Amino acid sequence: MNATVATTLRARLDALPSQSLLGTQEYFVNMGPQHPSTHGVLRLVLKLDGETVHQVIPVLGYIHRGIEKICEHSNYRQLVHLTDRMDYLSALANNWAATMVVEKAAAMETNSRIEAIRTLVTELQRIHSHQLWWGVFGMDLGAFTPFFYGFRDREILTDVFERTIGGRLTMNYIQPGGVMHDIHPELVADVKAFLAVFKPRLDEYEALLSENVIVQERLRGVGVLTAQDAVALGATGPVLRASGVAHDLRKAEPYGLYGQVAFDVPVGSRGDCWDRYAVRMQEMRQSIRIVEQLLDNIPEGKHFLVKPAAKIKVKPGVWYSHLETARGVLGAMLVSTGGEAPYRVHFRTPNFNNLWAVTTTATGGRVADLVAILSSLDLVIPDIDR
Amino acid sequence: MSDDLVHPAATPAGTAALLPGPSGGAVAVAGPWLDTAGSVGAVRKGIASLLGGMRVTGRYVARPSTVVTQHYPENRETLRVPERFRGALRFHHDADGYHGCTVCRICEDQCPNRSIVITQREKGALTKKELDTFIWRLDACTFCNTCVMVCPFNVLHFGPGFESAVYDRRLLVYTLNGYAGPTAALLNKQADPDARKAACEPRDPFCGPTVLQALAEKRAARRKAAEAEAAQGVGLKSPAAFEKSAARTAPDPVPVPGPVPVPAPVPVPTQPGSVEAADVG
Amino acid sequence: MHFDPQSLASRAAHLAPTDPWPALGVVVGSVLGVAAFVTVLGLVLIYAERKIAAHFQCRVGPYRVGPHGTLQAVADAVKLLLKEDVVPTGSDHLLHILAPVLSFAGMVLCIIALPMGPHAQVVDLDIGVLYITAVAGLGVLGILLGGWSSHNKWSLLGAMRAGAQIISYELSAMLALLVAVLFSGTLQLSGIVLAQQEGWWIWRAHGAGLVAFVLFVVAGTAEINRTPFDLAEGESELTAGFHTEYSGLRFAFFFLAEFLNLFVLAAMATTLFLGGWMPLHIGSWSAWNAAMDMLPPGLWFAGKAAAVVFLLMWFRWTFPRLRVDQLMRLEWKVLLPIGFANLFFAAVLVVSGWYFFPTVAAAPVPQLPAAGSSDDAGGAP
Repeated sequence: MNATVATTLRARLDALPSQSLLGTQEYFVNMGPQHPSTHGVLRLVLKLDGETVHQVIPVLGYIHRGIEKICEHSNYRQLVHLTDRMDYLSALANNWAATMVVEKAAAMETNSRIEAIRTLVTELQRIHSHQLWWGVFGMDLGAFTPFFYGFRDREILTDVFERTIGGRLTMNYIQPGGVMHDIHPELVADVKAFLAVFKPRLDEYEALLSENVIVQERLRGVGVLTAQDAVALGATGPVLRASGVAHDLRKAEPYGLYGQVAFDVPVGSRGDCWDRYAVRMQEMRQSIRIVEQLLDNIPEGKHFLVKPAAKIKVKPGVWYSHLETARGVLGAMLVSTGGEAPYRVHFRTPNFNNLWAVTTTATGGRVADLVAILSSLDLVIPDIDR
Repeated sequence: MSDDLVHPAATPAGTAALLPGPSGGAVAVAGPWLDTAGSVGAVRKGIASLLGGMRVTGRYVARPSTVVTQHYPENRETLRVPERFRGALRFHHDADGYHGCTVCRICEDQCPNRSIVITQREKGALTKKELDTFIWRLDACTFCNTCVMVCPFNVLHFGPGFESAVYDRRLLVYTLNGYAGPTAALLNKQADPDARKAACEPRDPFCGPTVLQALAEKRAARRKAAEAEAAQGVGLKSPAAFEKSAARTAPDPVPVPGPVPVPAPVPVPTQPGSVEAADVG
Repeated sequence: MHFDPQSLASRAAHLAPTDPWPALGVVVGSVLGVAAFVTVLGLVLIYAERKIAAHFQCRVGPYRVGPHGTLQAVADAVKLLLKEDVVPTGSDHLLHILAPVLSFAGMVLCIIALPMGPHAQVVDLDIGVLYITAVAGLGVLGILLGGWSSHNKWSLLGAMRAGAQIISYELSAMLALLVAVLFSGTLQLSGIVLAQQEGWWIWRAHGAGLVAFVLFVVAGTAEINRTPFDLAEGESELTAGFHTEYSGLRFAFFFLAEFLNLFVLAAMATTLFLGGWMPLHIGSWSAWNAAMDMLPPGLWFAGKAAAVVFLLMWFRWTFPRLRVDQLMRLEWKVLLPIGFANLFFAAVLVVSGWYFFPTVAAAPVPQLPAAGSSDDAGGAP
């Protein structure tokens, strides 16, 4: 019976293994570490069958700089500046995370002006980061123009930062005990001018990309990350919220002045690329809302409460604190045995966990879907490797 | 994270209970959706959405005034660098060119990358502890501003110079103090201008113990020795031949424009577009 | 106004029996002319694309080389000529070298058959439409070979995408093109232009022309691999697709072929639906028509082609890229049915004589003793 020769096409197809209807062969392809849409030195080993992705294996370590190890040799003031280089698009939030854990460990005080400034600049940087993401997202989908529009509008905000902070990308602004400079006298006017320009531009973004039928076709139903998977992977930030889990540390454990400003947390329902896209677009609007509330209500006070050169002393023990960057939960852990430098520093970075969503969501899709998923996760590779 | 995680089927409204806060909660994102289920209306809507995007780009192409490009080297004269911009680390020098550095070494201590190295004079002119060279390595600096922040005497600041590109990384090692000697406060107590002058020894921006400097000194010493030998008639080699052999034994891959300064310390010719030249705005 | 188009090839053929030397002059002149035209056109198109793209994106684009960067394309060409030509180990050397030549040759063979003016046409084949669609197929052959011979999986993916895409979209392009052929009653390109003397097919064909024009532009964009159908290159997905492993002069050939493709598409759309080099005539407005005739036909052709090129650039700098399966869905489920319906509609119009404009008698087809004997088109029927 088994010797029957399959004569018809149908019979031949039936005789083939079900996963490979045409008898095709799987092959491996290296996506990265030099690839236009891995945005850095991420390497993904892809097992493909034609255009269909069967497996994604991330390979890390191409930009490991040992930031945590270097922190062990730095004192509690010095270790803050290296955090700029983890998620370089959320430098201020990274500074704040490191500062927060140092302040917690050393029992340092802050005042409401410091907290207001920190909240304001970090929220501005969330917009800053999402602007870049939007541009790059467009480029990954094959549209070049959004990239330039995103960078054009981001430049205004970069200039605002430059005026108050002095840095444009890696800023080292938030310090244990305060912020490095008081806000520039022109900051409020600058930010208002930016918002006046940016709000109509945000609508333009929607017309150019969000409402585009090709974008919607490319994103909807692609790369679905269920809430269970998202939680199991430890995904945070817009990736988690797009899957329907309304978890935002700004609401769940308010820090800074987040407890005193009104804002909503955009939450998706299906966890596909479109939801991740829409959540970030809405987050920009919510960040604008927060910034507008803070701008005219920055309390008076000093911007730095300790002597700049004072040694920061930390008692032996373990401390942890976390906050919400533009990409998710950034946790900072500190182990001290006394002395000037920490014994161990560890950062729980959002991108490391978010990255693994690609292994579950991209399987079964096309190569183009993989690119869309990668882009919708908004990864910053140096943050993965540290 | 709370244990009672939200089931994916749960509506976003139901998840709002997770979130304490004064006002606002989770809102479901709607987004500008297109209903693209296959129908003639969907095709029409799809085409309309494409035209909407074309209107955005078309508006920009029709208005050349929306171009944001800056023509950089040409607009150098009109560039406005913010006063807090972290360009090049500089000393505050007063009208007489005096600085206030007391060699307390806090900046050196606090610098996360060891990009500040301070040497002090063996014997100061007026006090025991006087600054000799304040070396700042731009190539190691992360521009974190910590040194400026911690300086108790407000000696340091970041200048606007951002055009730091050079062809040799050794040129990225700067000496910031214009002179080796006591602080402005001490010098101003000296009534006699000659005494002030005697207390100070000039330093130029590239005079630190850089590799370049050490090399130049070494070469100068060798040349001197060779010349001495040639003068005595002991050596068989002419100075030129010595130079050749020296180049073979100790290759000096100096791509620095101009001759290597001999004898030391002669300033390396300032690069066009170096930090000094870039203090604009 | 009466036009009497005469191609360079037919002129040479007429001269040949009596005056061999002038005939040879025409032949040599056409060959040199085509070479110069192709080079200059490539440079102009590259410059235009970069400048227009820049202004879509609030930039100025090339600005440094020459006034307003006009010599940028020349500088790029020189750079590409001087670059090292890398042929990857393990690649099929012969095919690797052959692929860009095929791509480029296909485009040049298309250009020689295009009527750019009453007398500015190298070869006027009586099956010009068929010839162009056939010769344009060399382009896909070049892309397929380039991707295959590169010994690179990304290149191969790009090439396979291009193959599937171009072959699919050629159907729609053909269906759209047939509408113009139906209305003109000839396959000869100069004849199609002459048939539009009273008005251009885009509006004179009762809607069928407009639909066919849109179909042709969309399908043509897909055929020449431009955004939103640039899957074969797919910069963000496949690094550079089929030409990932090409550098230097060979890359330049692919690059040039891409831009000449753009021109050929625009020129075909112009010829078939926008009246080619015909001035814009409106019914009996003799003053208007006379004024329109003041402009030389070559300028009309260039202007219309430039408008179509600008439209394609507008597409490119606005839209994101489609996915492979969406691309196929668009072709087989949307464009192809529309194309068939449109062709049927057009056929009914033509057969039943429901159109209310006079049929233009096609100009007498010049006798071509050996078609294209004057230049590279020797292989054409």
